[in-house]
Order: sequence, then structure tokens, then C-alpha cells
Amino acid sequence: MPARRVVVTGAGILSPVGNDRETFFSTLMAGQSGIRRLESAFVDALDTRIAAWIPDFDPLAHMSRSKAGAMDRVTQFAVVASQQAIADAGLDLEMMDRERVGVYLGTGMGGSSSIEEGYVRLYRDNASRLKPFTVLMAMNNAAGSQVALEFGLTGPDLTFCTACSSSAVAIGEAARQIRHGYADVMLAGGSEALLTYGTIKAWEALRTLANEDADNPSASCKPFSADRSGLVLGEGAAMVVLEDMESALARGARIYAEIIGYGSSNDSSHITQPSVEGQARAMRRALADAGITADQLDYINAHGTGTKLNDVTETAAIKQVCGSAIPVSSTKSMHGHLMGAAGAVEFVACLMALEKQALPPTAHLVQPDPECDLDYIPNIGRENVRVNTVMSNSFAFGGTCGVLIARKP
Amino acid sequence: MLDTFETLREIIVRKFEKKAEDITLESALESLEIDSLDTFDIIFEAEEKFGIVVSNDEVAIKTVQDVVSLIDRLRAEQGK
Repeated sequence: MPARRVVVTGAGILSPVGNDRETFFSTLMAGQSGIRRLESAFVDALDTRIAAWIPDFDPLAHMSRSKAGAMDRVTQFAVVASQQAIADAGLDLEMMDRERVGVYLGTGMGGSSSIEEGYVRLYRDNASRLKPFTVLMAMNNAAGSQVALEFGLTGPDLTFCTACSSSAVAIGEAARQIRHGYADVMLAGGSEALLTYGTIKAWEALRTLANEDADNPSASCKPFSADRSGLVLGEGAAMVVLEDMESALARGARIYAEIIGYGSSNDSSHITQPSVEGQARAMRRALADAGITADQLDYINAHGTGTKLNDVTETAAIKQVCGSAIPVSSTKSMHGHLMGAAGAVEFVACLMALEKQALPPTAHLVQPDPECDLDYIPNIGRENVRVNTVMSNSFAFGGTCGVLIARKP
Repeated sequence: MLDTFETLREIIVRKFEKKAEDITLESALESLEIDSLDTFDIIFEAEEKFGIVVSNDEVAIKTVQDVVSLIDRLRAEQGK
């Protein structure tokens, strides 16, 4: 079978800057941040009290109490984002051969609330037993599996766990499933809900979290700015519907974009420190896969975590592969770092950039860093620009890089 | 002292969004769409509520009456 072309026909998103794709993107374009003070009971025990969290998510608005009760927050996010994506794509699953529909989902920490709740019962409260659903809610593949169950999907179902690149990798690998004929439709993306006391403390210990901006907590994540101090943890999910292009055209689906390239690599240099070569390698592979040259890119959504090291490394890698002319932005400045969901959330930002012909800014970039000298679309988004081809970078602790390239249909 | 059936019914109503009047002693758990995994969840709550311990070989149950009888027997045996 010749390689098939893969298009995106639907997107669903729950994020700290909006729980639908339109709100998400208009908030980014306005430069508004979803980073805020945590209101959890444990907040006073934290060094960094900010996170990019979703204040208004009510699972019972989307599913029964018994279903919600059997799912960790990370799974609830994944199921609701999938509901949105399927509706957005106008897919009538009842009428489809669901053996040809699969789900690839990325998550970093999986059901971290459930595992932590269990440990609290055991170690703090000296309980002798745990809730029967603990394993089923905590296991990393719960989110993907519950999505498959919810929609009756019997195609390939895999969970990708490559830290911060998990969902970029999930989308890229899902596209390959369609490209090479193993599935006709894939739900792909990622979910993360790691804002628990134990997980945040573990991240604090890595000394990678941003200091709270004293004047404006929502401006604490400052990618590419000289005064950046680290990343801000976030939660949420994004799922997209990928389809074989011919079938999508045949059913008259609205097509957001074609996924034309995907590249992955491992830095194989250090468990946390990024490498210019590793990142450049993934970008080159994605460009080669797409069969385009870097000068054809109109926008790069950077990994752009806001750590000292990532931002200079990524800048050097982009310059090596793509030169200095392409606008680059880090939307993490506003939606935070959604870890296993980051790649998918940022891919949705790229889809919206293609649809709206607009580029979201890097917020809070006020002090230029001589080592970060690209066009980062500082602070003000760009409307009415020509956006035909976009690239989304995702890099990770552990070294797994995932780069996606999409083009306007 | 907690009424076993009323307490159990309250757990089922809350967890599975059932109507109280639909739950009788004769109700088969299957007819209430409660599977074996859900049963473990109900027993887990009952253990907490009644302060009893249910061993693995005692959880083969089919009806609400089976659960009530099991809990009542263990409450008596375990002095709860």
C-alpha cells in the first residue's frame, strides 16, 4: 500500500487558558496567562505556589458520577478532550468501522492523584487497605484505555510515556499508523494532571521551577527572557482526530491541516540537560519526513520551557537547522508546561495558527537575552499573517525529542 | 447501630446514581449494572463503615441480600 496522507479534522482541549479551542487560542493571542496561585490545601508547604491549573473543570458536567469516580483527573481530562475532538470532527462513530479507529495518548505522570491518595492513606493515615480502583486509576495507560472504552474503539491503543514529549510523540506515531495503513482514524494527544503535593515537591527538588513573579504571579514563566527562572507546571489535555485524507475528503470533513512531517530522536547525552545536536536531529528528521526545507516554515512553536538551559539550547538548535528568519514563540509562557499533554496542546496552538492565520506571542519577554536572539514574537501576537506550514517542538527529560510539521490543506 | 441494608442502599445510590426505590434485597447486582469490580468498591466502603474485614473468599455474591447477609454475619463474628 502506498503511504497515505494524514489530516487533522478535529481538536479538543482543556487547558489553563480555556476549555475549548477557540477560547484557548484567543486567550493566547491576547497574551493572557493561565498561571495563577494554587489554592490547594498544601500550598503553604510549597516553595513555588504557582501553577497553570484549570479552575473550572467539573467532570460531572460530562459524565456520570460512577464513571467519574472510577477515573483519575488525568483520565477525566482525556475523555472530555476526546469527546470534544470527536464532536469537532463530526465523526459518527456508530456508523464507522471502529476496528479501524485507534487511540494513541501521551502522559508523563499518569494517575498521580490516585497513587498519591493511596500513599497518603497508607503511610500517613495508617490505613490497612486501599481503594479497589487505585491500580486502575493510577496506571499510566488508564487514560488511553478509558478513551478506547468510552468510544468503543478497537484499533491500536498505545500509551506514550516520554515525559515532556509524550503527546507530540503520540501524535507523530498515530499519524504513521494511518500513513502505513494500520488504522483509518486515530484519536491522538495527551493528558496530564500532576498538580499534587508529592509531584510538585519532586519537581521543586529538581530546581527547575520558576520563581513566582512578585508583582504579577501570572507572568512567572518568561521563556527566552533574560530574567527567566524556570518552568511552571501545568495541567490539561488535548486530543486531535487524525484521518486518512481520502476518507476525510470523501465524508466532506473540515480539514485543519495535513501532518506532513514527524521526527523523533534521543539526545543520549544527559537525563535532564538538553542537547543542541539531539534537538537539531529531531527537527532535521521531521523536515526530511515532510520533504520540505526549513525556509518553507512560517512558524515554530518552541518547546520554550523558560529554563535557563532549554531556551539557549533550543535557540541554537533552531538556528542550526532553520536559520534565524522564522518566527518562534513559546506559548508555555501562558499555558504553562503541561508535561505529557504539552506537545498536543501546542500542536493545537499550531492548528489554530493555520486556521486563523495568526501567530501567538511569547508572553513576558521583557529582557532580551543575548544568547536568545531569534524572533520570538514578543508579547504581542500577530494577526493577518501568512501561515502555511508550522513546526511544533517538544523535548523531554530522558532526552526524547518529538517534532511535528503540519501544513494548511 | 447502623442498619445494614439502609447503609448499603445509600452507598449504591450515591456511587452508581440509582434510585433508592429500585434497590431491594432481591435486586441482583447485575441488574443494577454493578459488576464484580464495582462490588469490590462497595465492599471496600462497607468495610470502612462497619469496621469489618471481608476476606477474598467471601466476595462471591449476586444480590443485595447476599451482601447484607455477608455484612451482618461478619458484624456479628467480628463484634461490630
